Amino acid sequence: MVLGYIDIGSGSLIIQALIAGLAAVPFFFRRQLGRVLAVVRRDEPQTRERVQR
Amino acid sequence: MTAPSVTGADAPKRAGAGLETDPASFRDPSGVVYRRDGTLFRQISEAYAPNWELLLSSGLHADLVGRGWLLPHEEAAIDQRLDESAWRVIRPLELDFISYPYEWTFGQLRDAALLTLSVQSRAMAAGMMLKDASAYNIQFHEGRPVLIDALSFERADEDAPWIAYRQFCQHFLAPLALMALRDVRCGLMLRDFIDGIPLDMAAGLLPATSRLRFGLATHLHLHSRAQRTSTRPAAADRAAQVKLSRGRLEALLDSLRSAVEGLRWEPTGTEWAEYGETTSYSQAAAESKARLVRQMLDRTDGDWVWDLGANTGYFSRLAADMGRRVVAVDGDAGAAERHYRYLRETDGTSVLPLVIDLANPSPALGWAHRERRSLVERANADVLVALALVHHLAIGNNVTLPLVSRFFAQLGRAAIVEFVPKSDPRVARMLATRADVFPNYSIDGFREAFSADWELVDEQPIEDSERTLFLFRRR
Repeated sequence: MVLGYIDIGSGSLIIQALIAGLAAVPFFFRRQLGRVLAVVRRDEPQTRERVQR
Repeated sequence: MTAPSVTGADAPKRAGAGLETDPASFRDPSGVVYRRDGTLFRQISEAYAPNWELLLSSGLHADLVGRGWLLPHEEAAIDQRLDESAWRVIRPLELDFISYPYEWTFGQLRDAALLTLSVQSRAMAAGMMLKDASAYNIQFHEGRPVLIDALSFERADEDAPWIAYRQFCQHFLAPLALMALRDVRCGLMLRDFIDGIPLDMAAGLLPATSRLRFGLATHLHLHSRAQRTSTRPAAADRAAQVKLSRGRLEALLDSLRSAVEGLRWEPTGTEWAEYGETTSYSQAAAESKARLVRQMLDRTDGDWVWDLGANTGYFSRLAADMGRRVVAVDGDAGAAERHYRYLRETDGTSVLPLVIDLANPSPALGWAHRERRSLVERANADVLVALALVHHLAIGNNVTLPLVSRFFAQLGRAAIVEFVPKSDPRVARMLATRADVFPNYSIDGFREAFSADWELVDEQPIEDSERTLFLFRRR
């Protein structure tokens, strides 16, 4: 991987992956919930937009 | 007076006849900012060419400019280049006034952070990413934050982490958290730390309860711990191997956005935040003052008004309503924040509120003092408006009247200045608790002091008060 021209920090990169993993759990749960709700409410575009923001 | 450039730092170095490179643009090898015969240009290097072409061909550039999130540019002829390394030359839209993150209110810094995340999200959708997340790449243009650096994007490899993550946390999340949860004046720390607040410092200063917020516990506290262990040699190898799926990267950005949105600050309890509603003079005096200010503004020319000691912006709006563009300076973070919120709610586009203490204005900062310019170096005021301010400088800060006059003359070429005598209740209250060591603080002393730098154009008493308004033209 080619790194950027600013010092991006080794620790920042490693921890970024870990934090992203942690954040992904509620994120995907919310997204799935959003999809289910969208089907239930039949207002799919609006809900999807909110979840994806 | 030269107009400031997009990336800041004027007082430029001469690179040839009529050619000046911008001392704030040296860090980014993608392209140098320079001025040729007064016009601002940026040359794009050969190495950046694939990224630039992708930015345009993917539609990302048009998308961002269309949303008002990215400052537009025009293509320029290649013979306008600075040197042989140029692959292409552009002419960015030039902003008349540059402000810095340490001058922004809490809400301004927060909006700038959210814009940076929004831009990154759009970039990801186009297969690119922001390669830096510097708060200095954001400026306020017509009331809204806008990214000024079109060379901030690069192709995102599949599974690539966000390389500007650390910078985002240092430039935005850490100062916002400190301002919201510790003290709003922590925003001024950005003056000392030009690449953002070090995360270990932020983690140490934040209240323990900040660990209860997922966003701060991870992006600041955990992040700061990880930086401590990252000096081991193995860490660099591991870092180069880091992969982040697209979905996880989206989750990371979503989490950063929630962390920023979760930070709020209400401007109460600061010194002047309620001053706007409790003015110390009568309704008749207020009406007379507004009428006189309007009449005096009418007798001045030029676009730019600097409202010094603007408070929540009553007179800034008065000037804006007359078609002027206004830089509204106040030392109180609460008053400036209220001003900014009012402008956001009313779609005010002509006024830029900033938090600046005039007794200690922003200095020149960064490499060789040339990256960030001092307030005086950025002065572009056609008219200064200084209402109910001089007594704060003279009596509150012991700045003598000749020094006030000289400083004002460095900022603008015309001035509308209010003089409040010692007999006024407000000044009397300031003097009640201290020795009166200001024998020259009188209307005659004021006139005398200002006559050194300014020609008196008009002088009008404000009705139903002991105050006087002066209109000056710089000598």
